[in-house]
Amino acid sequence: MTSLKRSLASDPYASNISSKVYVRSTKSGKVQKIVREVYLRQDIPCSSKLCSACLKTAPRDASGILPPFVLSDTPAGTKEFPQGHYLVPDTNALLNAMDLFEHNSAFYDVIILQTVLEELRNRSLPLYNRLIGLTKSEDKRFYVFFNDFRLETYVTREVGESINDRNDRAVRKAVHWYSEHLTQSVKATGQRKINPAIVMLSDDKDNLSKAKADGISASSLEKYVAGLENSDQLLDMISVAKENRETKDANAKAAENLYQEYFSVSKMMTGVKNGTLHQGIFNVSPYNYLEGSVHVPAFDKSLLVLGRENINRSVQGDVVVIEILPKDQWKEPSTKIIEEDTLNKNENPDAEDGEQVVTERERRALQEEVKKVHSKGTEGRAQPTARVVGVVKRNWRQYVGHIDESSVSQAAKQSRKQQMVFLIPMDKRIPKIRVRTRQAGEIIGKRVLVTIDSWDRDSRYPVGHFVRSLGDLETKGAETEALLLEYDVQYRPFPKAVLDCLPKEGHNWIVPPSMEDPGWVNRRDLRGLQICSIDPIGCQDIDDALHARPLPNGNFEVGVHIADVSHFVKPNNAMDAEASIRGTTVYLVDKRIDMLPMLLGTDLCSLKPYVERYAFSAIWEITPDAEIVNSEFTKSVIKSREAFSYQDAQKRVDDASQQDELTTAMRTLLMLSKKFKQKRMDAGALSLSSPEVRVETESETSDPIDVKTKEHLDTMSLVEEFMLLANCSVAAKIYDAFPQTAMLRRHGAPPKTNFEELANQLKVKRNLELKTDSSKALADSLDACVDPQEPFFNTLVRIMATRCMMSAEYFCSGTQAYPEFRHYGLASEIYTHFTSPIRRYADLVAHRQLAAAIDYEQLDASVRSKGKLEAVCKNINVRHRNAQQAGRASIEYYVGQALKGRIVEEEGFVMKVFSNGFVVFVPRFGIESLIRLRDLADIEPESTFDAENYILKTSGSREVEVELFEKVVVRISDVVEEGTGKRKVKLELVKTGSK
Amino acid sequence: MAPSSTQQVLLSPAELSYLHTSLSLNPPVRPDARTSSQFRPLIAETDILPGTNGSARICFADGTEAIVGIKAEVEKSRPSYQASADRNVAEDDDDEEDEETRRDEQVAKEKKGLNEWVEMSVEIPGFRDDDSMPVFMAAMLSEALLADGAFTNRLWINRRFHWKLYLDILLLSQPLSYPLPLLSLTTHLALLSTRIPRLKSEEDEDPLFDDDWAASVFLYPRTEALIRPPVTLLVMSVGDNIIFDPTKEELAVAESVLAVSVGERPQEKGQGDMDVDSGKPVRDLRLLAVRTIDPPSRLTPAGVPNTLNTATGGTAAGTTEQASSKRETMEEEGVWQPPRGGAKRKLIAAMIQAVLARGGVAEEVLDGLDAVELG
Repeated sequence: MTSLKRSLASDPYASNISSKVYVRSTKSGKVQKIVREVYLRQDIPCSSKLCSACLKTAPRDASGILPPFVLSDTPAGTKEFPQGHYLVPDTNALLNAMDLFEHNSAFYDVIILQTVLEELRNRSLPLYNRLIGLTKSEDKRFYVFFNDFRLETYVTREVGESINDRNDRAVRKAVHWYSEHLTQSVKATGQRKINPAIVMLSDDKDNLSKAKADGISASSLEKYVAGLENSDQLLDMISVAKENRETKDANAKAAENLYQEYFSVSKMMTGVKNGTLHQGIFNVSPYNYLEGSVHVPAFDKSLLVLGRENINRSVQGDVVVIEILPKDQWKEPSTKIIEEDTLNKNENPDAEDGEQVVTERERRALQEEVKKVHSKGTEGRAQPTARVVGVVKRNWRQYVGHIDESSVSQAAKQSRKQQMVFLIPMDKRIPKIRVRTRQAGEIIGKRVLVTIDSWDRDSRYPVGHFVRSLGDLETKGAETEALLLEYDVQYRPFPKAVLDCLPKEGHNWIVPPSMEDPGWVNRRDLRGLQICSIDPIGCQDIDDALHARPLPNGNFEVGVHIADVSHFVKPNNAMDAEASIRGTTVYLVDKRIDMLPMLLGTDLCSLKPYVERYAFSAIWEITPDAEIVNSEFTKSVIKSREAFSYQDAQKRVDDASQQDELTTAMRTLLMLSKKFKQKRMDAGALSLSSPEVRVETESETSDPIDVKTKEHLDTMSLVEEFMLLANCSVAAKIYDAFPQTAMLRRHGAPPKTNFEELANQLKVKRNLELKTDSSKALADSLDACVDPQEPFFNTLVRIMATRCMMSAEYFCSGTQAYPEFRHYGLASEIYTHFTSPIRRYADLVAHRQLAAAIDYEQLDASVRSKGKLEAVCKNINVRHRNAQQAGRASIEYYVGQALKGRIVEEEGFVMKVFSNGFVVFVPRFGIESLIRLRDLADIEPESTFDAENYILKTSGSREVEVELFEKVVVRISDVVEEGTGKRKVKLELVKTGSK
Repeated sequence: MAPSSTQQVLLSPAELSYLHTSLSLNPPVRPDARTSSQFRPLIAETDILPGTNGSARICFADGTEAIVGIKAEVEKSRPSYQASADRNVAEDDDDEEDEETRRDEQVAKEKKGLNEWVEMSVEIPGFRDDDSMPVFMAAMLSEALLADGAFTNRLWINRRFHWKLYLDILLLSQPLSYPLPLLSLTTHLALLSTRIPRLKSEEDEDPLFDDDWAASVFLYPRTEALIRPPVTLLVMSVGDNIIFDPTKEELAVAESVLAVSVGERPQEKGQGDMDVDSGKPVRDLRLLAVRTIDPPSRLTPAGVPNTLNTATGGTAAGTTEQASSKRETMEEEGVWQPPRGGAKRKLIAAMIQAVLARGGVAEEVLDGLDAVELG
């Protein structure tokens, strides 16, 4: 018996076709073998401006335009490569040092191979996205070369070769091809004698030695960076994850595993599917860094994760898988403040041996907790606890913080020796990060940006590397940038592609004078109306303007006119994409980070007085009893007569001598707005409160001089009421037109459990009842929460109630049932955001949908697709929250700066009581701060905590009794907080009670 | 008896008689001058279908050709009540000493596969899929595959999941000779080349596989020496002669036809080495199944002896009954008479022996198939 095998070589096309084989596991559990054919081509250009051969063959797009070549014809040289060089990093180089590639001082003319790009995407999506961002930026000159599609550089995997080896070989082959190709083409042109070197960057020793054997110029990252200027700074930016791995092998015996190993992915997935394990996002308590909570869909209440061992290397924001602990380990959430810096001072960041996960002091602190739970014997209050058994997705970002000075050895401050230091992140929920640096001396006292690289089982803290320094602590620039980074606000200048989308006329753009112009089509001429805008002082981006006039039948015509941003920002162009990523304009005390370029935001869209502007108008006929007779929406052209500030408007309304048309219109509006408000309140709208203060700054230097609480004017609620009215009517209209895809905003009813604590506190302390059955009941019972002696008490309760609420969110109407649309706080059935398109992306989407609903224009596909809208909503919800937090943090910082060097005594109220401290809120400055027992006196006083009655009694070195809601007098001074390096106000208890 | 399938061979009774006579000689003289146990050359290749887990193609010299594609899918196992009951019993037993060994046994018991994890379909041109021919072929092939009960154990992933194997067997040409051996050999090769993704998860977790196809494992690992899928061979007899790999003409005069399925016994450790005298390890073959096949020769037209032919001066029988009863008793040289009756038991034993004997036909076939380069 004989057998023969036909050979494939006889196929004439075999050299152009190859295939890729891999296994794909689908979500439904199917496992498929996938074979993809790869067609190899020879016209993929090298994209070097030195090369003329590729210029001829490179493919052109449909209109015959050749994408410009990327790599410079005069690349920068180094000592080693004086003739200039192109870089070809391999995947490890990118993984370890993405920050380097983003640096401005070096790393230009980089060839990113497709092999590397794909490998990077599999390894780390965030890094991949950053790299894509780099390849798009024109000045860095990063070129993606599709080496796996080019015949000459394609590499077939050999028998027994691992994927990594194959990819490394592909990288080497591409480097080889590039250098030969460039030599040839340079020779062909004959103008220059030296052609640039192609340098492979790799951290893989094996790869480097093979490259040497192949005769390719290659370099390890460190060696390459060492040859650059400012190498010290650059060297710090290389990830330590790899370095560590090497050293670990050396003292493998010594290294003891401090944490439990994570479960395998399949084990976690099986467990989650079975319901024996749970998956959720890990959140750290802001008061106790050893207490985390994970909300999982299976339970109403979050599960507690207590202690470092149970937290098992998860960091705030990670998606983790947890296992519920047996019932005898269930605990109450702590009533104690535990801060990392106070417990673990004076640690040595280099200490590898003898390290323990849980230090003695930590253990003691937890022990006390347990004791307390046991002593109480009230098992009913113990909460289920859990431990982390695995991390599904790390949500590590870049963290801002400062170097713990005590962790830097004195001798090393001067020298350039590399050493381990601790970085204390600004966000208290993030653990300390061990950073290896050569510039410890320089970065002390600076705000620095670091990233976490890894957290191994044998290391107590995560290991990271230095990215860059933002500047000295407490300088405005550094602190503002730190804030923006912490809250992930996009603050880079708008790229050119975005600016290209602006109208060519720039500031000279005007509403076309000829009514024949296409801009006038379907646009109503409302220039004759007496329209004015009312905004805070100094407002430049005027979104909205109003008018009112009596109608012959005794009713009023009221119009709300909103800047027509959708006219300038067309869907799916670069500007739209940028705006949808930014999501919202961020207001800091001294700075505004715009969602749209200045030209639009403060000029072309802004409804400035005395000029004609495009607008989107909502016009109602309203009876004197504030009943809406009918409403209509139209695109329009308006001319605002005046831009008032709230104060000016108020003065004008109050001044009886003013009888001009604008003022009477404002009086009408005010009259109607009061009626609207009353109606809303009757329907159960909540009037909530949050501490609001305004920082007054010097006009020149914008240094803070004073802090004022915001005063409330009638004109503010005038504007607010009509904006709410516009939002509600628009919401109804777009929902009617697009039941599946309308962009709406909802505010979920808070679960009862949220109010349990507050209701109990009010009951115990003031014998007041908080009814939370409906928003109406809540509103009424909040109104009843008054203390005749203390007018502020009501506001305090409102502030606390606000914190129990859910946050409002944008959503796409198709994703919720109609009853879920309700806005709890406004007691409105349906709501959206329509009135501030200059500063909120959601409003822009609503504008587009409304324009389509009134048949002004076609609805763009992007606002018609539910999936895309959901993604937009998800993003803007996050951005919105971040913007709010950044704004608050900015105020907090400036309040601290305003109080700098001053000592004031003020009244405050106790908001929260712990067993070893309490939180005081000072309404005058809108600040709240913690007073620890150990701050009360030099020697920490003994204390007894009555959790049932919320009373903390101290004895010994100082005797005080602090109870919840109590009025206290505190001395406010400023200190630089050791933990975060923030200048913060420090409160000291002067006396309790106002007596 | 499995039905015969080949199309009617257009040979005259005289030709059939001639063929029969020459095959009855000792040694038999075959039309293509082969010895009785010699196979015709064939062309074989594997991994011809990139999208499958394993595939093969074999082309016989007479132009018959078959392709087999094998696809594996992960499937949830039905919970077996028996197993869980067993486990409960084991858990109740609190004898801790040999718990481990018991657990091993338990796992071994649970690793038992089910026959329904293999689905085989045979497609033959000109036949509907519910015709008896493809159905019988599939039944015979899966019978051989499942006969030893060890094959499906390879498909076990864990207590909750298993691979389901779909074998699609396709005859590309007309079924000129009885296609069973062709299909069997092709299936054998395809199974040899079948690879399944490497399992990464442990124990009873939802299975998770390595996404690198190069890391996938063979269903019949190369390391397991000499464990191979079964083959089914066709053996026919004429007189006392046993003839292998019959052509369709030879089948037309076969007195009995057997389909013999042969597999390899999993070797006990250490035992195999003892009687190795050559360098080559010895195959320990065993019989998995034997099926007699209705030989197509039964349907051939009989020759008419001179005594019954009026043209040669004989007297024709009055009725067909008379004619056949007369022929029953006649044994005339050179006049073709379709074979009647079954095969003799002794002969069947001899045929099986010829297949299984050391250095016999099965071994030769398996060696030949082993030599086919995989993928």
